[in-house]
Amino acid sequence: MRSMITAPDNRLFSAVLVLTAMLLAGCGPTHVKVEGNFPAPLMEPVPLKLGVWYPEEFATHEFFDEAKSRRESSWVVNTGDAQVAMWDTLLSGMFSELTHMKGRPSPSQMNQVVDAVLIPSVDELQYAIPQHTNVKVYEIWMRYRFELVTVRGKPIAEWTMSAYGKTPTAFLRSDQAAVNLAAVMALRDAGANFATNFTRVPEVAAWMQSKPARRGAAAATAPGAKASPVNESAGGQAGAERQEDSK
Amino acid sequence: MIKYCLPFALGTLLLQGCVTSTVDEMVFNEPVEGIGDATVVILGRRHASDYETEPDFIECVGDHISSRDKTITVVDEIEFVNSLYPWFEPRTAPLHPADIERLLEQEPVAERMRELKTEYMIWIDGVTVRSDSAGSMTCGIGPGGAGCFGFGTWSNDSNYEAVIWDFTDRAEVGRVNTTASGQSYMPAVVVPIPIIAPVQGTACDGIGDQLLEFLSSEY
Repeated sequence: MRSMITAPDNRLFSAVLVLTAMLLAGCGPTHVKVEGNFPAPLMEPVPLKLGVWYPEEFATHEFFDEAKSRRESSWVVNTGDAQVAMWDTLLSGMFSELTHMKGRPSPSQMNQVVDAVLIPSVDELQYAIPQHTNVKVYEIWMRYRFELVTVRGKPIAEWTMSAYGKTPTAFLRSDQAAVNLAAVMALRDAGANFATNFTRVPEVAAWMQSKPARRGAAAATAPGAKASPVNESAGGQAGAERQEDSK
Repeated sequence: MIKYCLPFALGTLLLQGCVTSTVDEMVFNEPVEGIGDATVVILGRRHASDYETEPDFIECVGDHISSRDKTITVVDEIEFVNSLYPWFEPRTAPLHPADIERLLEQEPVAERMRELKTEYMIWIDGVTVRSDSAGSMTCGIGPGGAGCFGFGTWSNDSNYEAVIWDFTDRAEVGRVNTTASGQSYMPAVVVPIPIIAPVQGTACDGIGDQLLEFLSSEY
C-alpha cells in the first residue's frame, strides 16, 4: 500500500526535476559550435616540410556578446574545432608535408625536424548581426596573426591577414544556423586568402628565395605570383584593406 | 482524385499575386548544335558587401535548364566551388574572362576543368528585395481558440543579370538581364490567407528561358 502512494510522488519529483532542468537550461547562454566541411585546396603543393603549432587559445577559440562578460552573454560561438579542422585540411593540401608539433618551438623544446613552423592566432574578431545593423546580413570579420619560426623558435616572418564571411538572413533559417554559416564562410575566406598570398609575404618570399631547393615554390601557390615579392605583398595588403573597408 | 486536386490547383492560381517581368538579352556565338557532352556551371556573384545572389536562385535557374533539356548537364554550384577551392571564393573568383587564362596556368586547376568538361560558365549577379511593406495584423490566443485579424501588403523586386563566358574562347558571349516586381497581400480574418506574388520564381523562369535558348539546340 505504501509503495502505491510513493510511486506517483517519485514520478512527480522526476517531472519537477526535468522541468526545472529545462527551465534552467533556458537561462544559460546559447552555444553555437561552428561546424562545416572544408575542402582541400586544389594547387601544386609548396615543397616545404611545414610544422604547425596551434596555441591553446586558438584551438579553443570562441567569441560572445562583446558588450557583456562570457557568463552574462546570452550566446557563445565556439570556433576552435572548426579553425583546427580548416587549417589542418588547408595546410595538408598546400604543403608537401605537414607535421603537428609536440610543443611550441623554442630552444628548449624537443620537436620533429621540419623546415619551418607556422603558429596561427586570432588577433581580433568582429561580428555584426541584423539586430545591430538593421541589414539582413550576419557578418564575421577576423584578423589572424601568423608567426613562421624555425624549430628552435627563431622568427622567420610575422604577418597579419584578414578574413570575412557573411550570410543573409533567410526564411526558416535560425540565428544559430546563420551565425554558423557566416563563420564557415569567414574560415573559407581565411583559407583562400592564406593559400593565395602565403608566398607573397615579403619575409616568406625572401626566406624561400634564400633556399635554392625552394626557389621554384614561390610561384607555385597563386596565379600571377611570378611578379616581384614586394609588389605581390602590396596586392595582398590591398585585398585585406578592401575587406576591412567593406566593414 | 481530380475532384480534390482541381479546386486546390485553381485556389493556388487565384491566390497568387501579379508579377511584372522584363527580360533583355544580348548574345554572340550561340552554339547552333547545342553543347554536346560538355557541361555548364551557373555561379552566383557574392563579392558585394550589402547583398549576395541567393544560392536557391542559382539552383532554380540550373533546374529550369536541365529539366527542360535533359541533354544539358548543369554542374552543381557548391560541388564546383568545392572541387576548385580556393579559386572560386568571393575573394578569388575571376571577374573577367581573361582571368581564366591566369587560373588555368595552374596545372591541377586545368586538369580539374578538363575532368568537369565545362564549356560555359554563367555568372549571375543580383538579388530579390522586399520593399514598401504596409498594414498591420494582430493575432491572439485564448481558451476558446486562436485567430488573427488585419491586412498586410508588401512588394518584392528582383533584378538579376547573367553573364555567359565561353570557356574555350575565354570570352564573354552573352548577357541576359531580368527584372521582376510584384505585390503580395495577406488578409486575415481568423486565418491569414497569403496571396504571394512569385517574383523570384518569375525572374528565374525569365532568365532560365533565355539561357535555355542560348544553350539548347531544341529551343
